[in-house]
Amino acid sequence: MQDQQRVWLWNSVFVAIVFVLGYSIYLASGKIDYTWRWDRVTPYIINTEPQEIIAPGDGTLELGSDGKSLHLVLDSGADPFIVKKYTEMVAAEGDLIFEGDTLATLNDWQIGPIIEGLIVTIEISLYSLVIALVLGLLVGLMRISANPALRNLAILYIEVIRGTPLLVQIFIMYFFFGTVLDLERFTAGVIALSVFTAAYVAEIVRSGIQSIPVGQMEAARSLGMSYPKAMIYIILPQAFKRTLPPLAGQFINLIKDSSLVSVISITDLTKAGREVVSGSFAPFEVWFTVALLYLVLTSALSWAIQRLEKRLSASD
Amino acid sequence: MTNAPEKIIIAEGVDKYYGKLHALKDVTTSVHRGEVVVIVGPSGSGKSTFLRTLNQLEKIQAGTLVVDGIDMYAKDTNINKLRENVGMVFQNFNLFPHKTALENVMLSPRIVAKRDKKEVEEHSRELMYKVGLAERMHNYPSQLSGGQMQRVAIARALAMRPDIMLFDEPTSALDPEMVGEVLDVMKSLAAEGMTMVVVTHEMGFAREVADRVLFMEDGALLVDEAPEKFFDNPPHPRLKQFLSKVL
Repeated sequence: MQDQQRVWLWNSVFVAIVFVLGYSIYLASGKIDYTWRWDRVTPYIINTEPQEIIAPGDGTLELGSDGKSLHLVLDSGADPFIVKKYTEMVAAEGDLIFEGDTLATLNDWQIGPIIEGLIVTIEISLYSLVIALVLGLLVGLMRISANPALRNLAILYIEVIRGTPLLVQIFIMYFFFGTVLDLERFTAGVIALSVFTAAYVAEIVRSGIQSIPVGQMEAARSLGMSYPKAMIYIILPQAFKRTLPPLAGQFINLIKDSSLVSVISITDLTKAGREVVSGSFAPFEVWFTVALLYLVLTSALSWAIQRLEKRLSASD
Repeated sequence: MTNAPEKIIIAEGVDKYYGKLHALKDVTTSVHRGEVVVIVGPSGSGKSTFLRTLNQLEKIQAGTLVVDGIDMYAKDTNINKLRENVGMVFQNFNLFPHKTALENVMLSPRIVAKRDKKEVEEHSRELMYKVGLAERMHNYPSQLSGGQMQRVAIARALAMRPDIMLFDEPTSALDPEMVGEVLDVMKSLAAEGMTMVVVTHEMGFAREVADRVLFMEDGALLVDEAPEKFFDNPPHPRLKQFLSKVL
């Protein structure tokens, strides 16, 4: 009972401290001349404003055969510009239309640039995560190989990658390899992030494999399993379970590091944030929003890995 | 002598070094099919090392090893194929902790020997029954006692239908009250005519079950005798000294 009370007391202390911290941030923001305008940020997240549908060229507006869709027959003779989805017509049937005129409006939710950036960040992180896992596993296995060529290659790779800043690697990947191999920015960004993360994954894999008692490999080999079979069926499943927590940390780092690819003009969440700041003049709100979105991504990943960990612990 | 059983293990002039340490010194011996050979000796005497050379968990630097008619160090020898025929039981069980007892037993016949699933499962259940663990088949190793784990390990080795079984101090890591259950399984295996090489400190087992007892010290094989003579009339002064300490 005594213990229970103590737990309650200290939990209250925790809540109080968080509250005080939050309140002091609020007070501090009152000290500067800044008007908080959260409403300015929302259109950049989800845009609910009616959008105007603009004519791409000169021509005549006609109704389609279904009586609903709008056909703009272009004077240039190109294929007609067809509008299927709209809420309200602005121009009338038979009107002569000039380029830039509004044909109709559409009341539809549209994702804003921040969400588009978020999607790019998720894409980059997912591709890089998969590639880093495969590459890291390979390099990790090379690292513990008895073959000096493989082992030294792995060591060289790990040392070079871990010894140079990711930002510099991204520049080299984009400006040097990107030019030589004619890579798109997105590809260059994904490769740079994967190669960087794989070096750390390799070390995690190595330590994970080495943490499995030697007897496991001996038992597997004594049963006639080849080295690869013993690895696949015996060592790696056990090592994977042990390396999940450090791997989770590494992949959370990956999501955060992905913000660096904005330097090669990939419009990820961070770059979108920067663009929105210059459009909305609400830097504080935008950066808090961006931080929150990163936090949502990393928490989702760490939650998913915790679930996986629990499922794998059935044999403990 | 025409009816003498074939020699299933032949070791000749086996030498092994760990760096400068001469771990096995010119060890020569052989084991006949169906024989139970127990190796005893003080710790560090090379008895476990010698046992582990018999399925090449340790490589030798000189000498020849012929197991089941196959020269282990010939160029065209497939060591994995050879190991399928040589079961091994370890001091620390080395069960696969991420698999249930039954899965431990079934794994190698399935993925190495690629035998039919139904046949393997039936055989594995039989083996679990044989080692007295029919009820614990679906438990993970962490849910079993040491003695139970070691019995699963024996079943796992037997699942490959080996001709030879190697035991590396199978009872040394067990609580005293569990030693008996493992030795009983080993005795019944010996009674079925399995060829066994056993490194152990269980002198009672050696005396009761062994056909021959070997004494090793400092990497050398000093005594190779039938158990009666080995224990009652030790032919080597070092063995006498050793027995006086352990008996």
